[in-house]
Amino acid sequence: MDKQEPMNRRNFLREGLWGACLAGAGTAVGLSVARGNSDNMVWQIDPYKCIACGNCATYCVLEDSAVKCVQAYAMCGYCDLCTGYLIPEPKALDTGAENELCPTGAIKRTYVEDPYYEYTIDESLCNGCGKCVKGCTVFGNGSLFLQVRHDRCKNCNECAIAAACPSQAFKRVPADRPYLLKGADNK
Amino acid sequence: MSGRAGGGWIVAVLVAAAIGAAVAAVLRLDTTGRTGSGLSEAYEYDVSRLAKIDPNLVLYVESGPLIHTGMNQSRSIALDGAGRIYVAGDRAIRVFDAAGKAERMISLPGEPQCLDVADDGRLFIGMKDHVEVLDAQGKTIASWDSLGEEALLTSIASHGDAVLVADAGHRIVLRFDAAGTLVDHIGEKDADRDIPGFSVPSPHFDLAVSRDGLLRVADPGRNRIDTFTLDGNLEFWWGERSVGIKGFCGCCNPVSFALLPDGGFVTAEKGLVRVKIYNSDGAFVGVVAGSDQFAGGKQIKVCETPEECQGIALDVAAGPDGRIYVLDPPDNTIKVFRKKGAST
Repeated sequence: MDKQEPMNRRNFLREGLWGACLAGAGTAVGLSVARGNSDNMVWQIDPYKCIACGNCATYCVLEDSAVKCVQAYAMCGYCDLCTGYLIPEPKALDTGAENELCPTGAIKRTYVEDPYYEYTIDESLCNGCGKCVKGCTVFGNGSLFLQVRHDRCKNCNECAIAAACPSQAFKRVPADRPYLLKGADNK
Repeated sequence: MSGRAGGGWIVAVLVAAAIGAAVAAVLRLDTTGRTGSGLSEAYEYDVSRLAKIDPNLVLYVESGPLIHTGMNQSRSIALDGAGRIYVAGDRAIRVFDAAGKAERMISLPGEPQCLDVADDGRLFIGMKDHVEVLDAQGKTIASWDSLGEEALLTSIASHGDAVLVADAGHRIVLRFDAAGTLVDHIGEKDADRDIPGFSVPSPHFDLAVSRDGLLRVADPGRNRIDTFTLDGNLEFWWGERSVGIKGFCGCCNPVSFALLPDGGFVTAEKGLVRVKIYNSDGAFVGVVAGSDQFAGGKQIKVCETPEECQGIALDVAAGPDGRIYVLDPPDNTIKVFRKKGAST
């Protein structure tokens, strides 16, 4: 039979010291893991280098690309004639499918007040082709741009889109600051 | 035995075919993106196709050598009655004679956004949020009050005792007297006066006063040029939304314009970079220059990156002899155009 030591003051202090040491070690390990996570890097697109070539839509290893269009609302002109939303020669400035630039209908146009309209992206429909980004960049304020969405991205060690990016816009960024936002949104 | 041997051959052929197919697939795999996205035509957006201009519509030719502004960031151009060229940028105004020879430089306390030369030689300079007034020698006469943090002055014009200032930040035209007293706001949304308010999606908001005393203001979000009286009544407007050569396309065109001696207009656009002539009624007359002229005539130049596309746009001025002066900020040069057949 094991003989249990009586809990006297010396044993209590010894056990307490062990407990404190274990707690300290646990805290150190936890902090180390957290710091390791913040040192992790993820893929992202530099919106100031992106030329909206279309490769993001097809080179991602995922069937539905992890790259999506995003909107910098602070930069958007809320234009009636939105060149990211409408084809170059629209029959009318409205939501008719024949007037929409996006091949998948992923941009929603909502009336705000004359003459302003808000444009939002339905990410479930966006395939990251960048056609709207090109229209907005060339003719508009450039508020539409592409970003890697980290709820989808597998963070492959060797990113297939990065290798196929003609403008070297793909870069590694810290996981705790995973987006490269344009304009006022970045302040 | 022969059946087994035949089966072995079939397996060998299948394995060889599979290996061949795998090798072919690997060889055809493009990991560099050089073969393009492979997306269908529906995903294509060929902007350069839109930028092509019928050469028969080009009525002007470049006249004389380029004028280098000597600035890192040229912003605005104006001419005085003698044909001298004034360029604002880099915390300075640079003055060139009519032949493009540098005459002098006037230093400024801040970054100028726009300028106008009055008939008496005074310089009205729009800074970001206020106006600086200089005499003909470049000495500061007055520095008007700030119009607030949100103000962004993009164009200024003097007419008699009135000074008109376009504030893109507040999307309004301000009328001052020559002493800098604010007299009126022009173009504010006012249903009773049938004024819809200016639509200014980006900092391109130009104005000019024509010889008949009417104020002309670019309404870039609506792709038109409005005409107001100096009392602020909206009289009429012209301008067509189109990527076609007769119209203005995109959200912010025309980015700048100037009045011609015959009452017509010269306009400049961004996106599809082009400089065009309209008559005094706003009817399209012809083209001064297209995208290719701004790339040395070698190819059609359409911007790709945000830096190229959202950079400072062309500014235009017209000389008393009808010559067109185009300030090209990315190049920090002035291109001078004369009508085909006009004397050099």
